[in-house]
This record gives sequence, C-alpha cells and structure tokens, in this order.
Amino acid sequence: MVCVVDDDMSVRRGLERLLRSAGYLVTTFGSAREFLDRRDPASPRCLVLDIRMPGQNGLDLQQALVASGQEIPVVFITGNGDIPMAVRAMKAGAVDFLAKPFDDKELLDAVREAIDRSDRARQSVAPRRQIAGS
Amino acid sequence: MEAVKSRRLSLLPGRQVTARPSALPPAVQIVGAAVLVAVAYYLGARIGEQLRFLPVTTSVLWPPNAILTAALLLTRPRRWWIYLLAALPAHVLGLPAARASSFGLALFVTNCSEALIAAIAVRSLTDAPGRFDTLRRMAAFIIGAVLVAPFVSSFADAALVAGFKGEPYWLVWRTRFFSNMLTELTLVPAIVVAITHGRQWLQHASLRRRLEAVGLAVVPFGMWTLVMLAVEHSSAFRASPGVPLALLLPALSWAAVRFGPGGTSVSLLTTVLLVVWSGSHGNGPFSTIQLAEGVLALQIFLTAVGIPLLLLAAVIDERQRAQQALQERLRFEELLSRLSGAFVHLPAHAMDAAFESWLRQLGEFLGLDRVTLYRFSRELGEFLVAYAWSAPGVAPVSRVSVIRDFPWLVPQILREQPVGFSRLEELPAEAMREAETFRRRGVRSNLAIPLVAGGRVLGSLAFVTVASERDWPDELVQRLQLVGEVFANALAQKEAEDALRSSEVMKSAILASLASGVAVLDRHGRIVEVNDHWARSAREGGVFGAEVGVDGSFLGACWKAALDGVPVAREAMIGTEAVLNGSRTGFALEYASGSPGAGRWLALSVVPLKGPDGGAVVSHTDVTERKHAEMEAQRSRQELAHFTRVSTMGELTASLAHELNQPLTGILANAQAAQRFLDARPPDIGEIRAILSDIVDDDKRAGEVIQRLREFLRKGEAELSLLDINVLVRDVVKLVTSDALIRNITIRLDLAAEGPTVSADRVQLQQLVLNLLLNAMEAMTECDREHRRVVVRTRLTESPAVHVEIEDAGSGLRSGTEDLVFEPFYTTKHSGMGMGLSIARSIVEAHGGAIWAVNNASRGSTFHFTVPLARVKAS
Repeated sequence: MVCVVDDDMSVRRGLERLLRSAGYLVTTFGSAREFLDRRDPASPRCLVLDIRMPGQNGLDLQQALVASGQEIPVVFITGNGDIPMAVRAMKAGAVDFLAKPFDDKELLDAVREAIDRSDRARQSVAPRRQIAGS
Repeated sequence: MEAVKSRRLSLLPGRQVTARPSALPPAVQIVGAAVLVAVAYYLGARIGEQLRFLPVTTSVLWPPNAILTAALLLTRPRRWWIYLLAALPAHVLGLPAARASSFGLALFVTNCSEALIAAIAVRSLTDAPGRFDTLRRMAAFIIGAVLVAPFVSSFADAALVAGFKGEPYWLVWRTRFFSNMLTELTLVPAIVVAITHGRQWLQHASLRRRLEAVGLAVVPFGMWTLVMLAVEHSSAFRASPGVPLALLLPALSWAAVRFGPGGTSVSLLTTVLLVVWSGSHGNGPFSTIQLAEGVLALQIFLTAVGIPLLLLAAVIDERQRAQQALQERLRFEELLSRLSGAFVHLPAHAMDAAFESWLRQLGEFLGLDRVTLYRFSRELGEFLVAYAWSAPGVAPVSRVSVIRDFPWLVPQILREQPVGFSRLEELPAEAMREAETFRRRGVRSNLAIPLVAGGRVLGSLAFVTVASERDWPDELVQRLQLVGEVFANALAQKEAEDALRSSEVMKSAILASLASGVAVLDRHGRIVEVNDHWARSAREGGVFGAEVGVDGSFLGACWKAALDGVPVAREAMIGTEAVLNGSRTGFALEYASGSPGAGRWLALSVVPLKGPDGGAVVSHTDVTERKHAEMEAQRSRQELAHFTRVSTMGELTASLAHELNQPLTGILANAQAAQRFLDARPPDIGEIRAILSDIVDDDKRAGEVIQRLREFLRKGEAELSLLDINVLVRDVVKLVTSDALIRNITIRLDLAAEGPTVSADRVQLQQLVLNLLLNAMEAMTECDREHRRVVVRTRLTESPAVHVEIEDAGSGLRSGTEDLVFEPFYTTKHSGMGMGLSIARSIVEAHGGAIWAVNNASRGSTFHFTVPLARVKAS
C-alpha cells in the first residue's frame, strides 16, 4: 500500500499508474490536509510526498507524522530541491529525496526500500509488543 | 491783465502800441507830458499871436485850445487837471495881454472850457477818442471837437471880450467860433496822429512814401507861388478869391487819398498857414477884400473844404485798412489751406522736410526771426526741439532744458493755452526765469502755441523775434492756433505712422527670427504674407512638396497634394478650412516627409487670426530632431522595460523550473507507466489510451508555460488591444504561483464580477501587475508564514476605469516614502535596481491612468492603479 501526496493532479495520476504497474496498491491525495483527513491509519507502508504544496508542505507533514509516532517511510519528490532541504528531510528519516522529473527505476527502488524499511520496522515492533505484552 | 480764457492768448499788460509804456516810471512820464503840453501851449499862443490880419484882434488860428484838446483826447480824464494846470503858466507867459489881468485869466478859463467840452463830447460819441481812422470816429471828432465845443465855448469867450474890450458881442462870437473851429479841424488830428503814429511812420515808411510826402509838402508852395503870379497878372484870379484857393484843392485831395486823416490835417494846416502868412503880408487873393470879411471867408472856405476832406480821408483809410486786412487774411488763409493740404496723405518719410519747409514759410510770411517746433516727450517729461527755422543771420535755437528754463510758461502750454509777449517787460514777476532765459538768448518777443491733437499736448510752436519787438494781435494768435492744429494733426499722424512702422519692423524681425515657416492666410486661404523661412522652405519643397508663396492658395496646395496621394494633405486641408470658417479654434498635425527613416518629420499648425477680416496663421516646423529624440527615448524605455522583464524572470527561475517540472514529471511518470503496461500480457489498451491523453495535456501545459514566458519576454513596440483585466490578472498570477509556493505565500483573488475591458498593451500591463505582485511578495520576506498573503482585487469605478489593488501584509512603506517608491533607482532591497515600480508608473501613465501606494491600517501596504476603460466603439 503506497500513498502519493502531490498538489499537481497530473503528477499524481502518472505516479499512481507507475506504482500500480509495478504491482502496488496506490492511494493519492491532493494535499497534506486531505491525507491526514482521509487516510487509513493502519495501511500505508510508504508515503510518496511532494515538498512544495499550498498550505502544509511535505516537510511539515513528515514532522507531524514523526511527532505523532506514525513512522511511515517517506520518499520525497520535489521540483526544485536544494541541499539544505534534502539534508533536513533525510535527518527526519526520509528514505529518499528525488528531484522531479525522475526515472521510474529511481522511484520504484526508493519505494521498495521504503516498504522494506516499513516491513523491518514491523518485525522489530512485534517482539517489542510481545515483550510489552509479557 | 485780462482774465485768462481757455485756448486764448494770455494777454499781458500794455499790448497796444498806443499805450506802450516806456522804460521810465509813470510819474516821470506824466511830468514830462505836462511840461510838453505847457511848452506846446506857450508856442501855440506865440504862433497864434502872429497869425493875425492886423489890426484885427482875433487870430485866424488860435492853437492853444487845439493843443489842450489833443492832450485831453490822448489822456485819461482823471489826469486832465494835470495838463490843464500845466497850461496855466504857459498861458500867462505866452500872452502879454493876459499878464496880471483878470481878462487874461478869464480867457484861459474859456480856452480850457473849449478843450474840456471837446474832449467830453468826443469821448461820449466814440470808442477811441484818440483815433480818426474810421468814418464814425472822424464824425464823432468833427461833431464834438470841431462843431459843438467852439460853438458853445465861444459864447463865454465873446462875452468876455465884449465885456473887457467893448467889442460887438456877435462879431466876436462869430470870429471866435470860426477861428476855433478851423483850429480844431486842422491842428487836433495833426497833433494826435503825429504823437501816436509819427514815430512809427518815420521808422517804417518806405522810401517811396517818404518821397511822396516830400512831394506833397512841396506842391502847395509851388502852387501858391503860381497863384500869386496869376493874381498879379490875371484879372480872372483877382475877381474871385475862391479861384486861387480852388487851385490848392488837388494837393488837399492828394493828402486825403494817400495820407489819411493825419496827412490831410497836416496839409490843411499848411494851406492855412500859407494863406494866412501871405494874407498877413498883404499878398494873395484875400488882400484885395476887406480884411475881416477876408479872414471869415478864408475860415469858412477852409472849414467847408476841410470837413468833407477829413471825412473822405477817414473813409479811405478805413477802406484801405479793411482791404489790407482782408488781403492779409486771404494770403494767410491761402497759406493755411496750402499748409493743411500739404500734410494730407504725406508719407512719413517726407514729413520732416515738410515741417522744415513750412516753418520757413511761416517765418518768412510773418517776418519773424525764428520759428521752432518742440515735441513733448512724455517719457522724458521734456520739450525737445523737433524742427527749427531761423532767418538768415539769426542764431539757431539753442538746445536747453525747456522744463528748467521755462517753469512758468510750460504749465500753461500743457494746459493748452497760448502764451505771448510783445516785450520782455510784459512778462509778469512769476516769469523771472523766463525773462532771464529770453534775455540771454536775445529774444525780444515770443508767442508759444500749444500743439494739441486728440486731447493731448504733443508739443509747442514758438514764434520768436530777436531783431525787434512785435505785437501778437488776437486775430493773428487765432490764425496761428489754426496753424498749430494742422501741425499737431500732422505730428499725431507721423507719430502713429512711426509707431506703425516700428511695430512693422518688430513684427518682421520676430517673423524673420522664427525657426518655423510662417504664412498668413486671408479668409479664403490665400497666402498674404510669409516669413523668410517659409519662402526658403517653399523653394526646397514647402508644404507637402508644393511650392506655395505669397498670393498662392494654401488650401489649393493641400488639395493638389491630396490628389497626388499625400494622405495628411487632405487632413491639413480640412483642418485649415475648419479654422478659417471658425468651426475650429486651432489645428495641428505632424507628418513624415521623404523616405521612411531618412526623411524628415514636420509639424503643421494653424491658428485663427483674430481680426475683422478673419484669416489664419500657418506655421510649418521641422521637428525631425525632436521626433528622433522622442523615438530614441521610447526605444530606451522599451529596452529598459525588456531588461527589467528579463531580470524579473531571472528572479523567477526557481519558480519557473518548478512550473515546468510538474508537467514534465507527469509526462515521464505516465510514459514509463505506459511502457510497463505495454509489457503486460495482454496490454491494457484503455489504460494506455488514458495515459497518452494525460501526456498530451501535460505537454500542452508545459508549452503554455513556455509560451507565456516567451510572450512576456517579447521585445517589441507597444500594441494596443482590448484586454479583460481579470484574465490578465489570472495569467500573471499563474506566472508567480510557483514562486508564491516556494515562499509560502498565498495569493487570493477578489475580482470584479464582469471582466472590465481596457485598451492596453498586453505585455506592458502584465509587467505592471507582475512588478506589483513581486513587490508585494518581496515585502513579506521577513514576516511570519501565517501572514504571508497577497490579495489582488479588481473593480470598476465611476470614472469609468478599472481599479486594481494589490494588498500585502508585509512591513509596509516607511512613512513619507509613499511617492518616492515610484522614483527610478529608489530601492530598499539589497539587490535590485529600484526600477520595478518606476516602470510600473510609466506604464500606468502611458495608459492614461494613475498609480499610488498607501499603508494599510493593520499591516502591510496596498498598491493601487487605475486604467481607463476602453471606449466601446459604436459599431
């Protein structure tokens, strides 16, 4: 399950198709607010997030998620990224930072990495739960 | 002095020659006259004693009474007593018989009474007792002095003689009466005329007159000698005493005709003396008859002949003077009419010579020594010598300050009053300065006439004598005032012509100095005058290539050029016609002539000529340089605008990259997804079709971004088109959306319901809105993210215009800089040239709008601009 958040509809649709062709289940959102309102809290294992968006931007959303303890692996995409912005995103735990336009392989690799990270996180969480439950 | 009347000669005392005062004091004069009377009385008595046909007591002539009568006639009644008293010692001395006898003194009383009666009677009958120059005055004299006085006084006289000497009363009365009558008749006019006119005659009579007078004096003696010889040798002469006497008549008539009452009187006296002298020596025609009767006959004869002769002489004198006056007036009037004719239609350049010539003619005609025409200069407040004539041998007029040297005379001239004097002594005490000036210049008499035209004193005409004194009779003054009027009018005309000429000169100088060609048109469009520049340019091709000069038709030239296909010529013709017929108050156009680029720019302007005849003034100016400068400036402005657009775009690069990246990202993702879908078996054709459709849309979108960019950066001339301001604002906002996104700025639009249409250049207006938007966004760099908001509003105003507001929430303008921000190179930023808002202003102004900035009540500032709505053309 991959979630795409981008304010640009055509970018959303292109990414949705690309990810779907690779066999992922994809949900798209036009803004951070929409994502927070509509998402299924349990399901996403990867978040493809645009940085520049009206209202709350991608970095804000990432920080909000971290703050609320939902550590969904994030792949950032941006039209005009700069190094400080990339550093800030990576420090906050982003999986990758892709400059638009990007090759399908880059994205799919990043998404795989994110899902792997998500899977690893779940495996490490489960024993902790057990420990907690015991 | 007479009361001074306006425009009349201000008369000075003693103007009449007859009452000319000498330099001696009045008291001395009176004593002198009294002594003269006394001496004359004494001599008269001695002579009277001699003129007797002895042994008769009574004299044929008794002069003392006549001398007293003449003295009284010439003096004022209040001084009569002086002369009567002065005669008393002469009477006592002159008459041995009267010495120490009451008879002698009584005779004096009767003598005085005769003179008194004569003087009173004549005075009551005539206006001028001392003059015999008219029939009326002579008749008054004859009645009063010759008839009444001897008649009345002889009664007392006869009574005295009868009483003292015992002589028969009526005989005495008769002899006294006739004797006194003849004496008065012959002596009084002779004495009076000799005193009043003698000196003048002796000084001024021509040689011919003098010779004639000598002839008249000699002839009676010759005649009388002949008579004497005839009496001795011819019984015919002896038979009647009237015959020889009649032979004396021609001489008497001659005197009456040629020498007036004075001459006649003297001639009569000569005759009487001659006859009495020869009679008292026992010779002559009367010696044959009884003595007493002979004397009487002689007296009657001479009286009877003398009275009509004197009357005749007075009539002739009167006629002659009237004729002379008439002739003189005719001559003067002829002079005057020639004078007034001379200045009519006289061109200004001939006037100087005419003035000089007429001053000479007047001076010669009036026998003057100097005639000067002064012009009064208002600027200097001074009379200046304009023209002057001096008789040969007379010094020319000296140039002095008239105002300084004639402080008494000038104000009178300025009051339009003539001033004259016959002698320096006539000048009053106030005119001390004048007297001194005249004396220094040797002026003996002077008449100054004011020159008045149009209610203004233009100058003064001065008539001067230096050789002798001269009278200025009223009649002459009046005539010279007429001369003054003619001169004044000529002066006024000359002044007007001079003024006209100087204004003509000024006008031509102004016209010649103009760098434009100027032509004056009459109301039919015909050229009546051109300046040098027009004439020059006419030779070089003139207006619309048509050579048109004076007398050519400007409208015709335009028409011809219009037919030849010069498009502005038609416009010029219509415009000029409208100005000429008054439907337009002015007209101007600019046009290019010659080949584009290398040709010239010309401006044509037509303004109406304000005058009764209408017409217009056309000016034709080469404005090539100005036009080139204008075009150069416009090019610079455009280049600058372009440069700022390019640099603005530089600022927007990041934003533009983002703008392009979005569709490119979409395209790439979609295309690669499609490749993957194609690999699937079976490929999902529907999906691929949808993908391709999205790719096309994205591509178009990217193309639009580039198109917008290219349009914005287009370099070119302004091009007006009808624009919907709302559409334009949206387009520009799209350009900055990405930038706004990057800066975390929200742009809110609050646009008018119906898109107001303006006629404007798209690129310029886009640049205007973009500059203001970027300026608003720039203003919020420092402020909190939640406040970063720009609002763009459009609305319609009443004017009607579109009003655009761009509101930011930034730091606002520093107080007092609301207007400065639009100045070029005004900037508060570290980067940037400070040209953005300046260009915004020039764009708004070029579109006929206004731009201003105000700080908001809460935070930030709002920039406003208006652009007039496009006029909807009636189709």
